[in-house]
This record gives sequence, structure tokens and C-alpha cells, in this order.
Amino acid sequence: MSIEVSGLNKSFGDFVALQDVSVSLPTGQLTALLGPSGGGKSTLLRIIAGLDKADTGSVTIEGTDATHLPAQKRNVGFVFQHYAVFKHMTVAKNVAFGLEIRKRPKAEIAERVDELLRLVHLSQFAHRLPSQLSGGQRQRMALARALAVEPSVLLLDEPFGALDAKVRKELRDWLRRLHDDVHVTTVFVTHDQEEALEVADEIVVINEGRVEQVGTPDQLYDEPANDFVMSFLGEVTHLAGTAVRPHDIDVATAPLLAGAVEGTVSRMLRVGFEVRLTVLTVGGEEVSVVLTRTHARSLGLEVGATVWLTVTAGATVVPAMRPSLAG
Amino acid sequence: MIWFSALVLIPLMAVVVTAIDGGWDVFWSTITSGQTSAAIKLTVFTALGVTVVNVVMGPLIAWVLVRDRFWGKSALEVLIDIPFALPTIVAGLVLLSLYGPDSPLGIDIANQRPAVFLAFLFVTLPFVVRMVQPVLEELELDVEEAAASLGASRFTTFRRIILPSLAPAIAAGAALSFARGVSEYGSLVLLSGNLPFKTEVTSVRILSSIENDNVAAAAAVATVLLVISLTVIVLLDVIQRRVAARG
Repeated sequence: MSIEVSGLNKSFGDFVALQDVSVSLPTGQLTALLGPSGGGKSTLLRIIAGLDKADTGSVTIEGTDATHLPAQKRNVGFVFQHYAVFKHMTVAKNVAFGLEIRKRPKAEIAERVDELLRLVHLSQFAHRLPSQLSGGQRQRMALARALAVEPSVLLLDEPFGALDAKVRKELRDWLRRLHDDVHVTTVFVTHDQEEALEVADEIVVINEGRVEQVGTPDQLYDEPANDFVMSFLGEVTHLAGTAVRPHDIDVATAPLLAGAVEGTVSRMLRVGFEVRLTVLTVGGEEVSVVLTRTHARSLGLEVGATVWLTVTAGATVVPAMRPSLAG
Repeated sequence: MIWFSALVLIPLMAVVVTAIDGGWDVFWSTITSGQTSAAIKLTVFTALGVTVVNVVMGPLIAWVLVRDRFWGKSALEVLIDIPFALPTIVAGLVLLSLYGPDSPLGIDIANQRPAVFLAFLFVTLPFVVRMVQPVLEELELDVEEAAASLGASRFTTFRRIILPSLAPAIAAGAALSFARGVSEYGSLVLLSGNLPFKTEVTSVRILSSIENDNVAAAAAVATVLLVISLTVIVLLDVIQRRVAARG
């Protein structure tokens, strides 16, 4: 295990940011800390980096107890949401900074900077100032700067949060490929479930200062530990007291199966290849259902039609924790 | 551009022309006369000394104002600006009553050179502070955190990250503070006593030349000050570029 966090507590005044958090992050993997804003994931990352101090609990990095080590001594690479560039230095100087501090020989520094700038595709910008780069380029520079000192772990705090959607998607794919090349243990914070599902080997879901679930993207999606994880990772609707994904509901035009819930189609929306239904059940629940266009046509569905709903056999189902009004 | 010329360039040219008008010999004999050159030396060296103090203390005060939280901080914010707001002759009076013959502190520096230094220091205090403060406020904390996570000590972070960002502001503040020092009159006339060869500064020297109807001499001294000020401002700019580039 590369990073071991145990029993972390952290409060800012009355606000509890982390509550008895313990996680183990394996060596060489790309892990996402996923959760809503203000849930404590950035605080956890900053405590691992030594930029914030936990009230209680311990942090171990690569087998050494880092709880009381200052940030300078943790050998951790950190990438910030807003790039944190050194504005008065050229791109090459920014990347060289950590090596110059370590008093490495000039030739070695030049070679390493060259190599890193090639890795992040910024070779031709070596002598530009950061202000002459786009946001995506600045973040790649920040990444090269963090990698220059060969950190034992690389931590990224919402690294693509300040970028527009298209660049974000490109960088996300690029980070995944980079990680496959470099293999440094990497932890990144995101509130974007798609980003986490697409990039990470493992996801830690954090909400209100607590770890809700740890697992691979497939595990989280297929076996969510609770209603929160399930709803955070994708669309969820409620049918007969259980949370279920809208595409995991079977629609029938006759009461064929026992336990089927009767209702009327109150809204029907065609979006591309799929059809979204809102069904008002006799029990007063509003259930969202997604089916393919062909399937909807073969059933002859229209607004006002009476249907019977059942959860598809083998679908992911979680008991609804909160009383739901809207279904 | 015309506006700028009318306001700044034409008066400057007029001074230089008046100085040259009297002929090179008059110019040279004026500024090399014992009393005048003593005044120039005193003014320039004291202004330089005060500027050095401000360059060190100004960023420190600005740092405390921006980064620390303490009781009475907003009062201090206002206090810093008092030398700006106070008419200089009032400042002179304050200094005289505090450090003059009737000093309640028992410090009497009237008619001595420290009086000039003190008066300069008093009126130039806010320049560097007020130039550096907004720049310091703009500095993002995550930049310092990035340096720390790369292994930089507090001192290295200050020298290589913070100082280069502040350098232009410090240089601008220093230039203002030097220029203000050289031109200072009101705050020091009362306390310094204006003793020739001892505490007489150039602005006093210029005034007495005018009073003696010797416009050429006044213009000559003014021209020398002009050249010195320009040199210092250019020098400061060069230094600032060096510091900013070193990072």
C-alpha cells in the first residue's frame, strides 16, 4: 500500500470536513476521490500532501509515517485546480524548479526538463511565460513540474475543474495514457462521476466527511453500497421502495407478473434513440423509465396508457434510504 | 501626449534652459560652491538612506497587514496613510514638538542631521507599503504551497517566488520615496534648522537662491536634482528587472 490513511478527523471551526476517515491507496494505481463539493475530498488530499494538518489520525506514505512531516519532506507531487504557476518564470524554469532546489547538476536538470516537456507535449513552449499558454497547457506544465522531482505519489486537486468541457475530456484521456506510461501512484479529486468512472482504477466515494464506498468503477456501478453512491454515479429512480436505474425497469401493457406496479404514463419524451417515460403509479409515485425507441414502439406506448412496471431481473437495486416524494 | 508634454516636459525643459542660460561657468561654480554641494550631498545621501530603510521595512509592514490578523489592524491601516494626508508643515510641527528642544521623550535632535533623516522617513513611509500591499494581496497562496510541495523551504519560496513578484512594486515605491525625499521641504524646515553645511537641504537652498534673486543658481541646483532623480529611477528599474528575472 502506497498511502495509508487512518482515523483522520478534521474540522474548520464548527464545520466537520473529515470524520474518522481511513483508506488505503494501492501502489501504482490511479485512484479518484469522488464526491459532491464540500464533501471533504480536497481536504483529505491536502492532508495527504501536508498542506493541511489533521486534528487526529495518521498518514503513512510508502511505509514511512508522514503525519508530522512538513509538505517539503513528503516527496509528493501536487497539482492545483488553478495551476499555481510561477508567473515570472518560463515554462522550462517552472519545471526545473524542484530540481534546482535539490541542487542537481545543470546538465542533468536540462535533460530531465527536456524529457518532461516532451512527455507533456510542451517542448516548443519551453521559453514562453505561463501567461502565454492556454489553461490546458498550463495544467500540463504544472503536471510536468510535479513529476520532475520523481514524487512517490502524485496528487491532483480537481485538475481539470477550471477547463472547458472539450479540453477537460482530452486531458482526461491523456492523463490515463500518461499514467499507463509513468506508473506513479496517482490520486485525483473530482466531483465529476463520468471523469472518475472513465479514468480511475479505483474510486473512493466521499460524502459529508465520510467514506461511503471504495471500489473499482464496475463494483461501484454494479454494487453500490447505498442510495447515495448509486445516485451519485448515475441516474436513479424509485420504484416500490427501492432505488433502481431508469433503464432497469421493465414495462408491460398487461399485469403479467406478480408484484408489478400499476400506473399511467404521464409524460413521454423522445431523445435520440431512447424514450423517457414518467409513470404515475397508483400509489402516487412518479417513476422515470428509459427504454429504447423500438421497444417503446412495439409496446404501443402513449401518454395516458396504463402500464405495469417491474424491476428487471438481476438489476442493481438498493433500498431507498430517504423517504421520496418525487420518486 | 500633448497633455503630458504640457504638464511635464515643458516645465522640465524650462528649468534646464534657465540653468544653461547663465552659461556653463555660472552653472558649474554654483553647484560646486561649498554650501550648495554640501546641501546636495546631504539631500541625496539622506534620501538614499531613507529609501533603503523603506525597501526593507515597507514590504515587512505590507506583509503584516496582508497576512496577519490582529487586534487594531484596521487602525494601523489608517495610520499608515497619515503621512500622505497630513500637510507636510504640520508633520514638521509634530516632529518638532516630539523631537525638538522640549521633547517629552527627552530626545532632542533639532538642528542636527538625524532630524533630516527622520523627516524624510516620516513622509516617505507609506510609499513602498502602499505599492507592495495590493500585489501581495493578489499573490495566490497555492503558488507558495506548490513551491513547498516541490521541496522549497520558507526562505527559498520567499526569495525565488514571492520576492520576484514583489520586485516591480518595491522598485516603484522606492523611486517614489526617493523622489519625495529629495524634494521634501515642509516637514524638515522646522526641526532641521537649515544650518548651512550641516542641515541645509537642496529645497531650502533653492528657495534662498530665489529669495536672493538668483534664478540661474536655483535652476542649476534643480537641474542637478533632476539628473540624480532620473539616474536613480533608471537604476531601480534595472535592479528590479534583474530580481524579477532571477527567480
